[in-house]
Amino acid sequence: MSHGVHGPRGRPPLLAEWLLRAALAAGDRDSVLGDLAEEHAERVTGYGTGAARLWYWRQAIGSAAPLVVRRLEKLATGRRSRSRSRSKSGSSPMERLGQDLRFSLRAIQKNPGFAAIVVLTLGLGIGANTVVYSTVDGIVLNPFPFPEPDRLVGVGTAFPKLNQELGFVEILSPAEYLDIRDGSRTLENVVAWDMGNRQLTVGETTENLFSGFWWGDAFPTLGVRPALGRGFLLEEIERGDPVAIISHRVWETRFGGDSSLVGGAVMMNGEPYTLVGIMPSKGLIFGMDLWIPMPVGPEVFPRGRRQFQVLARAAPGTSLEEVQAELDGIAGRVESEFLGEFPEYEGWRLVARTWNDINVSQLRPAALILLGAVGFVLLLVCVNVAGLLLSRSLARQREMAVRSALGAGRLRIVRQLLTESIVLALVGGAFGVGLGYLGIRGVAYVLASLPLSGDVTLNLRVLAVTGAVSLAAGLLFGLVPALNAARSDLQTALRNETLAAAGGFRRLRLQRVFVGIEVALAAVLLVGGGLLINSFVRLQSINPGFAVENVLTMRLTLARERYAAEEVEPFFTEVRRRLSSIPGVAQVASVSQYPPIVFSSRQIWFEGTEMVGEETLPTSYLSIASPEYFGTMRIPMKRGRDFSDADTRDTPFVAVLNETAARRLVPGGDPIGSRFRIGGPDSEIPPFEVVGIVGDTHNRGLEIPPQSEIYVSSLQADGVWNQLFLMVRTTVEPRSVLPAVRREIQSLDPEQPVYAIRTLAETFAGSQFTRRVSTRMLILFGGFALILAAVGIYGVVSLAASQRTREIGVRMALGAQEGQVRSLMVRQVLIPVGLGALAGLAGSIALGRLLSGLLFQVSPGDPLTLATVATVLVGIALAASYVPARRASRLDPVSALRSD
Amino acid sequence: MRHRRFLGEFEQLVLLAVGHLGEEGYGVTIRREIEHRTRRSVAIGAVYATLDRLEEKGYVTSWEGEAAPYRGGRSKRHFRLRAAGVQALAASRRMLDAMWEGLELPSGARRA
Repeated sequence: MSHGVHGPRGRPPLLAEWLLRAALAAGDRDSVLGDLAEEHAERVTGYGTGAARLWYWRQAIGSAAPLVVRRLEKLATGRRSRSRSRSKSGSSPMERLGQDLRFSLRAIQKNPGFAAIVVLTLGLGIGANTVVYSTVDGIVLNPFPFPEPDRLVGVGTAFPKLNQELGFVEILSPAEYLDIRDGSRTLENVVAWDMGNRQLTVGETTENLFSGFWWGDAFPTLGVRPALGRGFLLEEIERGDPVAIISHRVWETRFGGDSSLVGGAVMMNGEPYTLVGIMPSKGLIFGMDLWIPMPVGPEVFPRGRRQFQVLARAAPGTSLEEVQAELDGIAGRVESEFLGEFPEYEGWRLVARTWNDINVSQLRPAALILLGAVGFVLLLVCVNVAGLLLSRSLARQREMAVRSALGAGRLRIVRQLLTESIVLALVGGAFGVGLGYLGIRGVAYVLASLPLSGDVTLNLRVLAVTGAVSLAAGLLFGLVPALNAARSDLQTALRNETLAAAGGFRRLRLQRVFVGIEVALAAVLLVGGGLLINSFVRLQSINPGFAVENVLTMRLTLARERYAAEEVEPFFTEVRRRLSSIPGVAQVASVSQYPPIVFSSRQIWFEGTEMVGEETLPTSYLSIASPEYFGTMRIPMKRGRDFSDADTRDTPFVAVLNETAARRLVPGGDPIGSRFRIGGPDSEIPPFEVVGIVGDTHNRGLEIPPQSEIYVSSLQADGVWNQLFLMVRTTVEPRSVLPAVRREIQSLDPEQPVYAIRTLAETFAGSQFTRRVSTRMLILFGGFALILAAVGIYGVVSLAASQRTREIGVRMALGAQEGQVRSLMVRQVLIPVGLGALAGLAGSIALGRLLSGLLFQVSPGDPLTLATVATVLVGIALAASYVPARRASRLDPVSALRSD
Repeated sequence: MRHRRFLGEFEQLVLLAVGHLGEEGYGVTIRREIEHRTRRSVAIGAVYATLDRLEEKGYVTSWEGEAAPYRGGRSKRHFRLRAAGVQALAASRRMLDAMWEGLELPSGARRA
């Protein structure tokens, strides 16, 4: 006997083992699981891991049913032996249940095709729900592994005076942090942090890490403990000691997960530090891989220098409203105290939001739509399965009648059918969970490449919901056909003149209602998918205003302590010069922000504009760009000239407007040569002269029309921005030049980190990620819905055909043509299909409003989409009914008449 | 349990396998014995459900065996025929033989 390869790959599949464990009685667990483990291990060596896993799964699935039945049987006989005095002919409820179960299994075995369809349909529906629910739960509802997420609160600000919308990143100064920390009773463990980049050297390995500089101990705020070592001590934070904490992923992937590193010496930007702890493996904050303590008092950073984030715990029992009320008070006090010195405080707000909300609220609409859609799919699955079971109960009417004639009570028959449908529902549910498990692994794989927090797993909540749904579904589907069967008239049924008789049509009517509902549900999903495709196509046809392909982008932040403001631009100029000589690089530029994520704006005053008051000044996005930026991005120069190297700090300040800015901001006359000031007429910044006009870009995303944007020359910007993006246009695959780019930058400054490396095309696609995913999912669901509806229609027509065989025979004997018989068969589903489609289209217009956030230039009642969906549905209905109808019309009249 | 006199088909297969194996019968070997001889794939759960029923009827007896690392540290359950089981098998065989007696079927069913 081979003594099992019990490495991680050789282990039996956990989920299968878990499923089986649930089916096993406690006394059998060891022996059965042990047998399987033993044989599995042999198969791993004999046939390979994959084959062994497959075998194990087949064993587990095949074993579940007999084991459960046996347990129930034993339960029943156990009862009986205790209460032997009960009537001889009758049997105990538990025994009857055991019998029902065995009957059910036998019935299912007798018609495996039918069972397979039911289980497959249910499984797909439940699986899809499991995947979507788990994903939404993991990413949108509970994205962070922090306990009591409702109490984890971020504080944001809005400065109407600066035209700055509510934000949560780089929005508070140290002085304001202290205002909040010391002025709040409803917030506990208030911590603030700044972000930047540091070079960490451990032994021989040096890594550039995105870092957080913490003022306060974040662990109690987050409610987690370090995976190893400890957090920062109070005095370390106060003194700003050279201690560091790194993320679990960096520790594991870069430094080999060596636990002896903790407590040891490391180098940070060339200075000695002590590594005191490792963060837990999940729940990074903004992807920061390195934490160091750094208290930055108001004496270092003035009140107006806002580059901190604030995170806190709401005190137990306090609501977000109470926190907000307190923050309103603090903001009011700060405003009245400092308004003279800091005019931006006028009307400013401090806003508390849960950390979940801050990070994922933009995903919520799409997530809710997907939840709704997948719920529709489940509903459709239920209707479909109910229809299938109903058809089957009709087909088995004679069997039921025989049983009834042999003395089975109606209640017994109802229970038998119910048991059958519940067994099917449970098997379907188990199958669905299996599918869901696989689906979630797929989702997790895709998500790993995206900048999202959270972790998608099959969790217990999802399992509970899924289990409840499948059980409820079983009861529900079972009920209708079961009651239907109980009502059936014994004599008619035995003669089996079922559907030729009046009662038959009544029953088929119920099935046609089901078909109608299925078509309606499918229509809603298809219209939703159609509208999203429509929006997507329209978006793709929009010209973004620049050329997306073949641009590599990266961000460089020049540390203030190493580069004085006036050294920033010379550094970037040299970088641009060196990079443009790399083979495969066509053009290089640097810029402070680029489409589709232009974010920084200022108030602008054009000379000649009447000033009513400062608050009425228009705003515009203001970007700092180097010469050749427009050429690199392929933004067309419409008039005037580009920035040139001749524009320096000693020549007049120049600016380039996009067409929207030229149209909206310039008060009249020729925009070229007009002059403006940033901030207002009394600004300290000298005036700028417009020297050129460029084409518009969709600078805030494709969905949004181009916004006013003013470009000023980086050669004149005095290094006020020390973080710039490098835009590298290539003639080759953009990432292929990256090593050369890194080399050049390192030869200039070996300690300068390069980060946020992406292609422009990736950034562009990322901005449409939510839309792409929801579009694809809705199309998938719509397609699934269409298949289900087709199955339903096919089922009804073939049932009708088989039960009207004799009628068809009569008609044909009396001279009906094949075509007439076909249209007779097809006609009977056309009315429910038509009504269902109409109801579905009407419903989708009503529900379309929910989609409106994701629609683009398409109204929920878009006639083209509605017409297309209607055509597709009717086409599918015809196709699905044509096959059985054709079969019916090809009957030999003689044998048809003879059939009973 | 008079109405439970006759053995079902699968019950016969399981009992026969236990008979073949003598002292060596436990889940793995019994399942494999049936699979090898009948060329039907058999779920371990079905084998155990049946063995459990057969034990309840007094046809087989079982005892706990040793745990082993190659079984993930889980113990074995061994099975052996009891006299009543041997009788039941013999009765089934007599019954089948009686039915086959003198019957000549056209091709195809000979080995059934």
